[in-house]
Amino acid sequence: MSIYIFYISLAFYLFSTLFYLLYLVVYRKGVERVGYYSLFAGFSIHLISTLFRYIQAGYTPITNIYESLSFFALAIAGFFLYLKRFYKIEILGCIILPVLSIMLIWASTFPAEIRPLPPVLKSYWLPIHTIFSFVGNAIFFISFFVSILYLVVERGIKKKRVLPFSGRFPSLETLDLINYRCMSYGFPFITVGIITGSIWAGFAWGSYWNWDPKETWSLITWIVYAILLHNRLTIGWRGRKTAYMMIIGFLSILITFLGVNLFIGGLHSYV
Amino acid sequence: MSATKSKPGEGEPAPKKTIIDRIYIFLTSIRFTIFLLSFIAVSSIFGTIIKQHASTEEYLSIYSENTYRIIKFFRLDDAYHSPWFFALIILFLINLILCTMGRFTRFIKTEKVIKLPDENALSNMQMNFHIETKDSKETMSILEKGYKYVHKEAQGFVLERGALSKYGVYMIHVSIIIILIGSFIGLIYGYKGFMILNKGETKGQIIMRGENPKEQPLGFALRCKDFKVSFYPGGEPKDYVSTIEVIEGGKTIFEKNIRVNDPLFYKGIRVYQASYGRTPSFHFNIGGESVTLKERDTYKKDDLIIMVARFESMVHDFGPGVLIAYLDKGEPRTSWFLKDVERLKEKKIQGIHIRLEDIREDFYTGLEVLRDPGVWVVWTGFALILFGLYVNFFVYHRRIFVRQVSHGIMIAGIAMKNKEAFKEEFETLKRKICGNKS
Repeated sequence: MSIYIFYISLAFYLFSTLFYLLYLVVYRKGVERVGYYSLFAGFSIHLISTLFRYIQAGYTPITNIYESLSFFALAIAGFFLYLKRFYKIEILGCIILPVLSIMLIWASTFPAEIRPLPPVLKSYWLPIHTIFSFVGNAIFFISFFVSILYLVVERGIKKKRVLPFSGRFPSLETLDLINYRCMSYGFPFITVGIITGSIWAGFAWGSYWNWDPKETWSLITWIVYAILLHNRLTIGWRGRKTAYMMIIGFLSILITFLGVNLFIGGLHSYV
Repeated sequence: MSATKSKPGEGEPAPKKTIIDRIYIFLTSIRFTIFLLSFIAVSSIFGTIIKQHASTEEYLSIYSENTYRIIKFFRLDDAYHSPWFFALIILFLINLILCTMGRFTRFIKTEKVIKLPDENALSNMQMNFHIETKDSKETMSILEKGYKYVHKEAQGFVLERGALSKYGVYMIHVSIIIILIGSFIGLIYGYKGFMILNKGETKGQIIMRGENPKEQPLGFALRCKDFKVSFYPGGEPKDYVSTIEVIEGGKTIFEKNIRVNDPLFYKGIRVYQASYGRTPSFHFNIGGESVTLKERDTYKKDDLIIMVARFESMVHDFGPGVLIAYLDKGEPRTSWFLKDVERLKEKKIQGIHIRLEDIREDFYTGLEVLRDPGVWVVWTGFALILFGLYVNFFVYHRRIFVRQVSHGIMIAGIAMKNKEAFKEEFETLKRKICGNKS
């Protein structure tokens, strides 16, 4: 059941992607609106499918690669919709929606049937730890693309080259401001994600920190963002340097989330 | 402290900095913090790509001898417990303590007495408006709902909200210091080991892992009263539970069902359900006497000596069997007893009838046992950091100034952080106050 609703939401996301890409070409407000509304519909249906799966499975559906990628995409869509209320970032939708759709298509190639839960995941910490971690990761996903956009726009300005769509890009200041906002939401979220994971590990594995690859990489990620935060607030880094650090931070998140499972392994082998 | 205050090129000749001053400045600088953090992050990667705690043979099967020598030299086979990593963490801790203290003393000094700025200063503020009324009572009753008075004078008032957020940074830093101290306490005074208990078995010591495993007494004993495992229809384990009795001084203190995610606590020691397995037991009838033997057990009676040598759950399609070793006229011999083959269930050894009645596979439970007196310190740090994060990132400090001016009241507001949100808040406030007046 939930999987069909999931496919319907995917259809809306794809529809939204189409209109956002069209918007890039024709640059009409109406086209962007269609993209935005279908994104909103996609997000709502996706949320319903996640809730359905929660009821069907009897546990928070963030326990394998399919469920995690799906929840990650849901969190990204949600945070993008949230940011859109404050900033003119239509152009960002042209990058984020295609990636989101690819992520969901990739997710649907993994086995999606509801599996019984292994004993170690039966805990109240499962929803708390995973939701905080994924919302944090989603926020930094957005800031990763904001940073790339920042570097592209800055380069265009420096070389005094008029980029094909440069008139539609947000200003460097806005991009930097969004990055700062992402930072001040994302950092507390990933910190809570790590801490709740640590408490859970204390109950399940016997030790709150085991230097498991996943734990270690989450610590590395945390350090990258902590450095970024301090550089910004006390040394006064702005703009380009922040953008580079945001990119490094997100690469570290990717290794923590997927790299460790696909290439390294360890205790945290479910997702 | 004097070193941090001296700024060169400020009129008077700056006092000469000694080497110690320079080292101190460097150690307390944020640049050093960033250097240390980067170094910790980058060096942490080694431990995730090089296998930890593996044997020499394992390393040599992956790496060349020279690479292995480098791994051993830098202790990369146990990277997170190596002296250099420990030194990095200690340096970070010192730097963090000094930075936080320095920042806090500067913060205390700059916390000036709150004054009401003059009209000019107010009209230059981020947000301000004025209303033409002599009576400020109504306005104040609106403001009092969300803001706290911090200063009153004849000309007006200063109110504020979210002042706690100024302390968020210190809470976060102090909690990281607490967490690190807690983890050191655990490293120094804690230990970790495991215990394998068969159903009905009692043990008072655990085995510590390491290159040469050793036993460590617990000070009390654990008895496995029962063990149950249940499976999903697909065959994956659903739940496994050990009923454990804590025995001290010959008396049972209490019993608890421990399962994954639900450990047992007693006298600072925590016992976790970690694994389980099966051990076979063999039920013999030896010359009319019932005897239960486990693997590697020996049975002696008069001239008869038999030993359980090996268990196979499947002996050439004939089902489970056990290999018995015995002495026949001084000669060592072996013989298979098969549970499901009538002809091979019995044998006469030294003139005594030996019959295998049954082979049962009993569960044993694998328990992880550890002591970590620092864990409560770490938990405290966690609680404080959560509060600190909330205060620092989701609460912001703002002040509202109200001043009597010649043609009414002037109201101005200022926020140190989150100016966009404050702008909205201030606009709402303005609408309320002006709406009330008309």
